[in-house]
Amino acid sequence: MSALAEKLIPKPEALPADHSEIRSHAMQRLMQHGFPDTKTEAWKYTSLRVLEKRDFTGQTGAATPLPSYPISASVLHFDHGRLVSDLSALPEGVRVSALPIDALSLAQYDERYGQQAGAFQWLNLAKFEAAWDIEVSGDQALVIATTTSSEFNGDVYPRIRIRVEPNATLELIQDQRDEGQGLVNIACEVELAQGSRVRHFIHRQNSESVWVQRTDVDIAKDADYRVVAFDRGGRLTRHDLKMRLNEAGAHGEIDGLVLLNGSQHVDWRTEIVHATGHTNSREAFKMLADGQSVGVFNGRIHIYPDADDSHSDLNTANLLLSDDARINIKPELEIYSEEVTASHGATIGQLDDRSLFYLRSRGLSEADALALLKFGFAAEPLEQIQNDAIKDWALAELKEVL
Amino acid sequence: MLKIKDLHVSVDGQEILKGLNLEVGEGELHAVMGPNGSGKSTLGYTLAGREDYEVTSGSIEFDGQDLVEMEPNERAASGVFLAFQYPVEIPGVNNAYFLRAALNAQRKARGEEEVDGVTFLKTVRASLEELEMDESLLKRAVNEGFSGGEKKRNEIVQMAVLQPKLAILDETDSGLDIDALKLVAEGINRLRDGKRSFVVITHYQRLLDYLSPDKVHVLSAGKIVESGGPELAKRLEAQGYGYLEKAS
Repeated sequence: MSALAEKLIPKPEALPADHSEIRSHAMQRLMQHGFPDTKTEAWKYTSLRVLEKRDFTGQTGAATPLPSYPISASVLHFDHGRLVSDLSALPEGVRVSALPIDALSLAQYDERYGQQAGAFQWLNLAKFEAAWDIEVSGDQALVIATTTSSEFNGDVYPRIRIRVEPNATLELIQDQRDEGQGLVNIACEVELAQGSRVRHFIHRQNSESVWVQRTDVDIAKDADYRVVAFDRGGRLTRHDLKMRLNEAGAHGEIDGLVLLNGSQHVDWRTEIVHATGHTNSREAFKMLADGQSVGVFNGRIHIYPDADDSHSDLNTANLLLSDDARINIKPELEIYSEEVTASHGATIGQLDDRSLFYLRSRGLSEADALALLKFGFAAEPLEQIQNDAIKDWALAELKEVL
Repeated sequence: MLKIKDLHVSVDGQEILKGLNLEVGEGELHAVMGPNGSGKSTLGYTLAGREDYEVTSGSIEFDGQDLVEMEPNERAASGVFLAFQYPVEIPGVNNAYFLRAALNAQRKARGEEEVDGVTFLKTVRASLEELEMDESLLKRAVNEGFSGGEKKRNEIVQMAVLQPKLAILDETDSGLDIDALKLVAEGINRLRDGKRSFVVITHYQRLLDYLSPDKVHVLSAGKIVESGGPELAKRLEAQGYGYLEKAS
């Protein structure tokens, strides 16, 4: 067993005492395959060495206060992995409950998580404390905040499933603020029923913690899901986002912005599956890497056989802001149907000296000109946020940090 | 206003300007003409302070200040404006936002009050109208997707809004059709107030027909080799630059 597996795979006595089949299965998977290393294709550019060196004491610290949010919304606050919000204050259309462990489908996870590459998902299944089920009907706004304090030095496994009922709409902010040096391993599922609509904004600002998230989005007939991610980086962050367009008329969009500096490392892996015909998707992903940071983006589009009349467009543009920063990008198109349109583009560049001089020659200081150029590059994904209040909130933060 | 003495400038270790002398008085408009590769654009970039244009000797005095020691933005704030031969496209940066930020950065550096949004829009709209440019350009990214002519006219709009003391126009006439050329010339003439000075860098005489320069200079191999009145431009147009090679 590798040092990492030794450290992270729980002893049987440390597992939650529900003796569920799903936990022993997850443990089996972990024991069998262990954790990925850089020889694992899906983890080629992301080493877990930083985790190997960590010893988790389990320390948490005081609850972190939340910022004020730009929209009026129900707030579910997960502090150090535990839901601390008062559920009695929720509106009628938002029902939150802990799922009995038997309600989780083993067969589904076997298909989803696979083997070694999915080690963190198996780890989550082995160790999660509670699987929260959030059922949304009507027209709702929700903030799911996940925070850790600066004393945090433990490992936590939040597990959340959001089910949006037919024709319901959900404005969702997922706000993730880490100040600690532990492991946060999140599993998040979003299910859009027929005709429903979800606008999802992910805001993430990590510190020294290792942050691993898996998001599975399932989109039914005529449902419409759009996510915009604003990731301000962290010591080591990995996000796997898999979006499945399961029925005709399903529509999905991903816009991502990652800002990296210092020795941060962020790895985003997205997959869009067109499981059937008459489905549309679009993805645009941008990273800006400064200092000695590393940004990784792998974007995959998978169009099934017979998924005719599907359309997909994937674009990634990236900016290296220092000589020591690195960006690795890979768009992948896997298309088994002929009657489709799919396009992709990928660029990595640097700020242009001529642009910088042009702005300075008009009176802007070097620092202001650089900030304006970076803002001009970085704002585009955030401009896709449809709710104006959330968009202004995100753009104001972008302006402040550039 | 502008005194350039024995200016030597190198780019990538290669000397382009080789002892250039030029004096432009307050309110004057000087034309600098010359063949390709004579150093015309180098002169423009050097005055605006482009980093890789290294002044190896000589001096540039502007309004009593040593220009060589100043950063590009300090030069702008003190009143130097370069209309680029190839205006740069800056995706994602809103035209109006950029121009207002530039104007206010200059005003701040001069210790003046910032201009509010309403006043700014009024000024810029008036300039756009004079240059027959669509107001929608304000909402677009700086020069992105602009036609060649629109880019050049946009430089004149910027000049009108920023109100420099010295404007250097680097081949602003190239790529313009005759109607656009007239608009640009009118834009320049509107700003001639007896105090503001201009250095108009050009290949051809046709823009000068509208501008009536006070002086015309011929730049060749990094030096001013001949100076005269508007008749010099006419002569060059007729005989070409070939005589310069024969002379050297």
